[in-house]
Amino acid sequence: MSTLVDNYPLRDAYDELIGGEGFPRPATRPLFDFLAKIDAGALDARRQAVESAIVAMGITFTVYSEAGNIDRAWPFDIIPRIIDRKEWVRIEAGLKQRLTALNLFIHDLYNDQRIIKDRVFPREVLASSVNFREQCRGIVPRFGVWAHVCGTDLVRDKDGTLYVLEDNLRVPSGVSYMLENRRLMKRLFPEIFHSNSILPVDDYPIMLHDTLAALSPRPGDRPVIVVLTPGIFNSAYFEHCYLAHQMGADLVEGSDLVVKDDCVYMKTISGLQRVDVIYRRIDDDFIDPEVFRSDSTLGVSGLMRAWRKGNVGIANAPGSGVADDKIVYVFVPQMIRYYLDEEAIIPSVPSYLCMYDDQCKYVLENLERLVVKPANESGGYGMMIGPQATRSVREQFAALIRANPRNYMAQPVISLSTAPTFIKQNLVPRHLDLRPFILQSEKIYATTGGLTRVAMREGSLIVNSSQGGGSKDTWIVDTEVG
Amino acid sequence: MLSRVAEGLYWMTRYLERADNTARLINSTTQVLLDLPTGAKFGWDILIKTAGLDHLFFKHHAKTDENSVVRFLVQEEENPSAILSCIQYARENARTFRDVLPMEFWERINGLYLYVQRHAKSIGGGRSQRYEVLHQVIERRQSIVGLVMGSMSHDIAYQFIRLGRNLERADMTTRIVDANAAVLLPADEAIAALTQERLWMATLTALSAYQMYRRHVDVHVRGRDVVNFLLKDIHFPRTVGHCLGEIEACLSELPDHAVPMKCVRRTSRRIAEMRTEGLMPMALHTFLDQIQTDLNATHSALSHQYFYLYQQSFMQQGQTAISSPLSA
Repeated sequence: MSTLVDNYPLRDAYDELIGGEGFPRPATRPLFDFLAKIDAGALDARRQAVESAIVAMGITFTVYSEAGNIDRAWPFDIIPRIIDRKEWVRIEAGLKQRLTALNLFIHDLYNDQRIIKDRVFPREVLASSVNFREQCRGIVPRFGVWAHVCGTDLVRDKDGTLYVLEDNLRVPSGVSYMLENRRLMKRLFPEIFHSNSILPVDDYPIMLHDTLAALSPRPGDRPVIVVLTPGIFNSAYFEHCYLAHQMGADLVEGSDLVVKDDCVYMKTISGLQRVDVIYRRIDDDFIDPEVFRSDSTLGVSGLMRAWRKGNVGIANAPGSGVADDKIVYVFVPQMIRYYLDEEAIIPSVPSYLCMYDDQCKYVLENLERLVVKPANESGGYGMMIGPQATRSVREQFAALIRANPRNYMAQPVISLSTAPTFIKQNLVPRHLDLRPFILQSEKIYATTGGLTRVAMREGSLIVNSSQGGGSKDTWIVDTEVG
Repeated sequence: MLSRVAEGLYWMTRYLERADNTARLINSTTQVLLDLPTGAKFGWDILIKTAGLDHLFFKHHAKTDENSVVRFLVQEEENPSAILSCIQYARENARTFRDVLPMEFWERINGLYLYVQRHAKSIGGGRSQRYEVLHQVIERRQSIVGLVMGSMSHDIAYQFIRLGRNLERADMTTRIVDANAAVLLPADEAIAALTQERLWMATLTALSAYQMYRRHVDVHVRGRDVVNFLLKDIHFPRTVGHCLGEIEACLSELPDHAVPMKCVRRTSRRIAEMRTEGLMPMALHTFLDQIQTDLNATHSALSHQYFYLYQQSFMQQGQTAISSPLSA
């Protein structure tokens, strides 16, 4: 009888489970053995159990286009994605290095702009950045750190090299799913956890709490931390609740807060209570109608005044998004060299900037080979994958690029590694990426692994949950113990 | 505790309690129907009256037959107090403060909602099927109450949950007593006496109080004794007297409780001073009306004391809060 793994077809891409010679990679050995023993029916029974647990636990996300139906069960694949701890140690160092440099960069932009004066970063990129907030000039947040929570997307190319695809520095989401994925797996596959040295991931909420607490303007007390959410219709509302719950913080909406005498208060049953730190999950544009969009009902009037005076900590700091830009991304290796005098540990994907005439010309001549991305969209919106695009779509993008070259960049297609995914009772390879989360304030911390997102459709490279992507539990496995 | 969250918790529990009460009421009415002596007239409209939904019901229905009444009370969208609507409101509310409740709370309320959504249609499939579905509603809701009592700190959030449950319960108990007292009895005296006894038994059953009444009061079910028990007893958890005691205990755990506390104590006094000997149905009705007005005053007082700061911001913006689509 052939087993699930016997029938697993290998593709052109790097596979996370099976090595080049058709053998499991060292860290994936126990999983491989498990899959070789279990039959499709038994595995499918576990899948169904996981799915009903997801519905019952209400692990949901929201899709904007589905008015009326605000919940969608979180699509989850039960086959974990495995990374060897030896590799992870290096990646973790690379992630911390990167966020450290990015924070130095943001702080520099809002203060002395040395990097521009020293001609390492072009002034014209800054001039046309839509996420640069003039209102934040001259502010010195605690520890000089602006982006306290960062979600960095990593992808693996054909040869096995991991690249950074982008840094999400505004309001990155997904960490709650990372934590819930692990809880689901432990509930349904306890025997695998028993026999493997899989590193735990559940210290994240405590690290997040400590990262935020360090921003309190009133050190010594037990700081009052709140998670500021735009409300139940936001796609990440589940996560906002989840993190507030895990940290023992209050989950607030803009209407729960009020600014008086440049301090932030929340409206409680016994009157107003001072707030020390706000973990905001609302975009800059909406946090303070006094300073940014005046029509915003999600934010709090006067928040920026309170922050500027140092009376409240805000994570991520307003204006951090300036470094969350696909053009700025291209300059990160230079930043690491400039601020830290180090070489980047994790490489960036080679990129072409349409703002430069020669690179733009190359992009326009090679559209069918490249991925074209707008500078400031997230969630996979507004991008073009050249080899999969029709001629008319390519022409449309060519026109867009010519009209606004600063807004576009292009990269060669990274094939994205695959891992076995259980679909219709078969193991099939599906492309995936990895989003670890990095925290920085007084200290710096990275999650053990992160959220693996997987494109559930055959051949698809789009892993975003807003576009039909799923997720997997991510195991960092220590092959040197046990 | 945020004002918004306090208000949400309070309303969430009221919705859940209301759904639970309605389920019990339908099931016990179905039972009593089987036991009524022939010749005794019994209308399903009593349920609509008890729930105080006459006006809304007759806007959409002409006849108070079993099917229309039950469907209206269980699943009709036009009825904000229907079991399905209540559970849906409760779930939507719970969603906004998953952070203050035990993790499993959401799993259970979500499970309850999914169950009712899936099975609400099948209540038209016959009485035994209906009984089973409603029984499940009661049981699942009980497990939520149990979870809250057993695995949540008895903190401020807990007090608002308890407040909502007891206010809604007291309100429902007065309504049930009131509706029964208003039933017109057959002219034949023997049948009238029997019918009345059956109806009071149904009342006790609807409040899961029959067994305790028999144990602590009497094996005979007499109107006056039942009224006394359901209003004044302080040990059975669904009597008005008990609920008022609970509300007082909750308030004493909350800050700045002077005004709402005064309201509850006034109601308790009124009940203590009430004499049921020789009480005529009309006088009882007036009295129960007064108790309901008192309960509403308590609701307004605590609402003003604890939810006002948050409600204020909505008044300024001309919006309504999601937490109070039902009237008190």
